[in-house]
Amino acid sequence: MKVSLSWLREYIPVDLDPKDLSDRLTMAGLEVDGVESLYDYLDNVVVAQVVQARQHPNADKLTCCTVDIGKGELFPIVCGAPNVREGMYVACALPGAVLPGDFKIKKSKLRGEPSHGMLCSAAELMLAHDASGIMDLDGEFVTGTPLESALKLTDAVLEIDLTPNRPDCLSLIGVAREIGALTEPRNKVTLPDVTFPEAKMDSRDIHDFVSVRIEDPQLCPRYTAGMLFDVKVGPSPVWLKQRLEAVGLSCVNNVVDITNFVMMETGQPLHAFDYDNIAKSKIIVRTAGKPGDAPLEFTTLDSKVHKLDPEMLMICDGEKPVGIAGVMGGENSEITDATTRVLVESAYFNPVSIRRTAKRTGIASDASHRFERGVDPEGTLFALNRAVSLMAQFCSATIARGIIDENPVKTPPVTIDLSPKALNVRLGTSFSADEIAQILGSVEFGIDKKAAQKDDGLLQVHVPSFRVDVARPEDLSEEVARLWGYNKIETSYPLITAKGRTLASRPVLRGKIRQAMTGFGFCEAINYNFIRKDACARMAIEDPDKRTRMVEILNPISDQMAVLRTSIVPGLLEAMARNTAKQVDTLQLFEIGKVFFDTAPGKQPEEVEVVGGLITGYRWDQTWYSKKEAVDFFDLKGVVQGLLSYFQISGVLYERTETGTCPYFEPGYGARIVKDGLVLGTLGKIASGVGAAFGLKQDAYLFDLDMDSLEKALPQAIQAVGLPKFPSISRDMTFIVPKRVEVGVMIDTISAFAQKQGLIEDYFLFDVFEGSNIGEDKKSLSFRVVYRSASKTLTENNIKKIHEQLSQKIINDFQADLPG
Amino acid sequence: MQNNLQDIEKQALEKISTADSKDALESISVQFLGRKGVLTAFLRNIPSLPVDERPAAGKNGNLLKLKLEEAVRQARSELEAGAAGGAEGIDITLPGRMVKKGALHPITQVMDEISGIFLRLGFDIAEGPEVETDYYNFEALNIPKYHPARDMQDTFYVSENIVLRTHTSGSQPRVMEKNEPPVRIISPGKVFRCDSDLTHTPMFHQVEGLMVDRNISFGDLKGVLTTFVQQFFDKDTLLRFRPSFFPFTEPSAEVDIRCAMCKGKGCRVCSNTGWIEILGSGMVHPAVFENVGYDTQKYTGFAFGMGMERVAMLKYGIDDIRKYFENDVRFLGQF
Ligand SMILES: [Zn+2]
Repeated sequence: MKVSLSWLREYIPVDLDPKDLSDRLTMAGLEVDGVESLYDYLDNVVVAQVVQARQHPNADKLTCCTVDIGKGELFPIVCGAPNVREGMYVACALPGAVLPGDFKIKKSKLRGEPSHGMLCSAAELMLAHDASGIMDLDGEFVTGTPLESALKLTDAVLEIDLTPNRPDCLSLIGVAREIGALTEPRNKVTLPDVTFPEAKMDSRDIHDFVSVRIEDPQLCPRYTAGMLFDVKVGPSPVWLKQRLEAVGLSCVNNVVDITNFVMMETGQPLHAFDYDNIAKSKIIVRTAGKPGDAPLEFTTLDSKVHKLDPEMLMICDGEKPVGIAGVMGGENSEITDATTRVLVESAYFNPVSIRRTAKRTGIASDASHRFERGVDPEGTLFALNRAVSLMAQFCSATIARGIIDENPVKTPPVTIDLSPKALNVRLGTSFSADEIAQILGSVEFGIDKKAAQKDDGLLQVHVPSFRVDVARPEDLSEEVARLWGYNKIETSYPLITAKGRTLASRPVLRGKIRQAMTGFGFCEAINYNFIRKDACARMAIEDPDKRTRMVEILNPISDQMAVLRTSIVPGLLEAMARNTAKQVDTLQLFEIGKVFFDTAPGKQPEEVEVVGGLITGYRWDQTWYSKKEAVDFFDLKGVVQGLLSYFQISGVLYERTETGTCPYFEPGYGARIVKDGLVLGTLGKIASGVGAAFGLKQDAYLFDLDMDSLEKALPQAIQAVGLPKFPSISRDMTFIVPKRVEVGVMIDTISAFAQKQGLIEDYFLFDVFEGSNIGEDKKSLSFRVVYRSASKTLTENNIKKIHEQLSQKIINDFQADLPG
Repeated sequence: MQNNLQDIEKQALEKISTADSKDALESISVQFLGRKGVLTAFLRNIPSLPVDERPAAGKNGNLLKLKLEEAVRQARSELEAGAAGGAEGIDITLPGRMVKKGALHPITQVMDEISGIFLRLGFDIAEGPEVETDYYNFEALNIPKYHPARDMQDTFYVSENIVLRTHTSGSQPRVMEKNEPPVRIISPGKVFRCDSDLTHTPMFHQVEGLMVDRNISFGDLKGVLTTFVQQFFDKDTLLRFRPSFFPFTEPSAEVDIRCAMCKGKGCRVCSNTGWIEILGSGMVHPAVFENVGYDTQKYTGFAFGMGMERVAMLKYGIDDIRKYFENDVRFLGQF
């Protein structure tokens, strides 16, 4: 909402400078976004006097002038205007001035004669339409005075960023009312005179020309109309154009401009119809059709065709719709140069209905903007009368006797019982009832003094009809607080009970994972929740995989962000591609976030939180102590193992992924992470085809863990174990087994043996060897077994037999050979 | 055979450990591991051994080969490291074997820090679904359908009544429905708005908070938020409370902090106002309490919310909001 200070001054005295005024408005809730000076372009335009004027030697229509530009300086200026004469006070643009249209004034020569400036017409300075000659300034001036101050043109336009609760301030009068409450002494607005001059009254009565019927009173509680005859449609007077242009409206013709002027002045949108295009002298306010009817095609006055739903409210004549109520008029009844009889509409429409129509049709007009926020239900007549009287004056029209005022649904006035005590509790203040009454009175709330003296101390507050945002005592507390000043309310600290709740477990778990992963050298990534629609295809995932159940966004911002992710994989791969494209080839990334699975239509999706990690590139760089070595599956597995051991989760199995379950892993390079039958997640190497689909040029290894499962797998409690008192002894065993034998299965066997046999404390694989000398399809595996007793120092004799039994069991179970 | 290997190992290790130059080390390496080296000869000889000895000989021979290679490598790096010194010790200016460093996302860091401040003030964390019902995201918070206030938040829809939450405030009615006052919660998390340009990303992070009890006042709101701002930014940070509008609070206030760049004189960062908008807040609207069944005569409360991306921008001087979600490690590693 733009307001100009000169316009505001028609309703309220404003003496503050624009900056100070802006600050006060901002701190009262009308945030001023910017202040622009309206006549900045008049810098370097001064009042000058033509001292001498003589015919240009080389051009018939030009005059060579000597101009007094102040301080005794005389400039030669060539002028082409017919009205230039000696002694005349003129508006002179000096070298350096930049006139509208980026017209730069410089010293130059015109047909051989020097010219050090330009004498300007009113049109060139955008001060009036007159382009027939230069401005002939009337009166006595001191030459050299800036034109802006000589003509008292100073004006500023404030751009106010209004919150949706203040439609009353979508008007000059509304803003003036606020200013009146924010300046000292407080002032009340002066409303414009809207009485019709008798000389302008026509003998004909409006009721003989038009009748109005409201078929849907809930959507149109009030419809008023006035009528004018002998209207001369033409350009608006300069003052009116200046007003509208200053606040950013474009001018059309005097009738339309007056409706816009009154809308800006009062906040009430108006519409003017060409009466001669209203069929059968009838205005009918009704919906576009009955429920279920086909959409109606309608052309608005901007020549756009809209398809209208049957429940949209229309203004119709005796035959057809002529306007979308409160949104935009129709092309079929707009004001043209040929119009002579005008019907002016000023109505109150249901805000929700207007908003729905504006949303559906995509029309955001100044009218709908106001109606959907709520105009003053009692303001229709005032605005109508204002417009009619202005049209009589500036369109040389006569006014029909009588007005139409259909008001089937009255808007009752709002009265609030305000408890000063409750208000003070809410704000942390100690206002007296009088102080509250005074503050509220400054913005025209009526206080019933008699009621204030009742025993319960309640103030009866009458809300002015234009304050559609105020309905309850809490709303009044805001009025009091903002007008008093938020920053004058004393800062206090709440007294709180020491009753606390248990910390939510999930944020704690998340925090620990972050701690571990950054400790492992990983950077935390945050990817968008939305991904490409073809994300599953890119990962080679097919129906009926759960991850194909993606939730689609109805109004996505782009194709790249069209569905909610069902996997953390694509985001991490894309992040990798972005990094490697910037020559960062070694990455350790992790992300904690949700994935979403569609459930049923109209239901919330299932939200599953996961943690994912990605590694790619090199385990070590080329350094003085290491060679560049690429990461592999076991680097990733080590991270997963490290993370699980950080959480004391033991007994985890790594099982080969079944075909099709993780198709984005290279076949034979994927594993499920399982604990007690519960799948915690997966890890593996990204298949080269999938990598290529994401534009990856190097191998990537990725894991994901389900946070719910991880939480379930956490040990209930951690119990300290005493440290051993006696030394351990280690024995190694080496087997040659067929290559297909999985180490994990052998370790399971050793584990089962160890559990039955109490002396085995630890066991691990320490060597894997393959070579032609042991056979092409064989591998040699070496394990170390650590024995320890809690009660004594073990000797060779104590363990010899156990070690042999274990060895024999492996030989039997895995067709293993001993080396040598 | 075994003796032979053990001899080779013993000899080789001794020589390697006493080599005093890189050249000497190279010749020892050639002597044992070269094409005509002792160990190489042993390995070549395996096929001539009795069949049952071959596997063990092969394996042990290869193991020794690896072991010696490693010993040579280690001796070489020690010689390199000690090149400057000998008796004086090692060259301690050589770069160390650096452990890789990870980093938390800057958003996580500010969110943790902010959560920490409120946890110390006795707030709990309440999280909710990121895909929310229209009811909890809007209606329970006094934003009916077709209310102009819906324009304040461009919403992503997945169906008529299911939205990507536009703020984390939906957690507030969820908690209040289940708990009587006193309530003190913060809700950190991702939120979504249908908006993308230099200063907006369609996903961002918020921390929103709520305190409800008897006699909670606007003055208390000012106190708690002042405490927060001065802990998070600087203990001398000036702040001002400016009237605004949110459908779920009445009165509503924007909180501005004094621009740290220009100290209030006005600069590009603060659009020449000297102030930077940092928080939205207000006293909980009675309609919100009525929706969850709280007695509006008995209880009052305040709510607040802020965007993490913006806060992190101010804290770290980040100039482009999109950087947060590009996950360039050169960016992530800075925090
Ligand atoms: Zn600044």
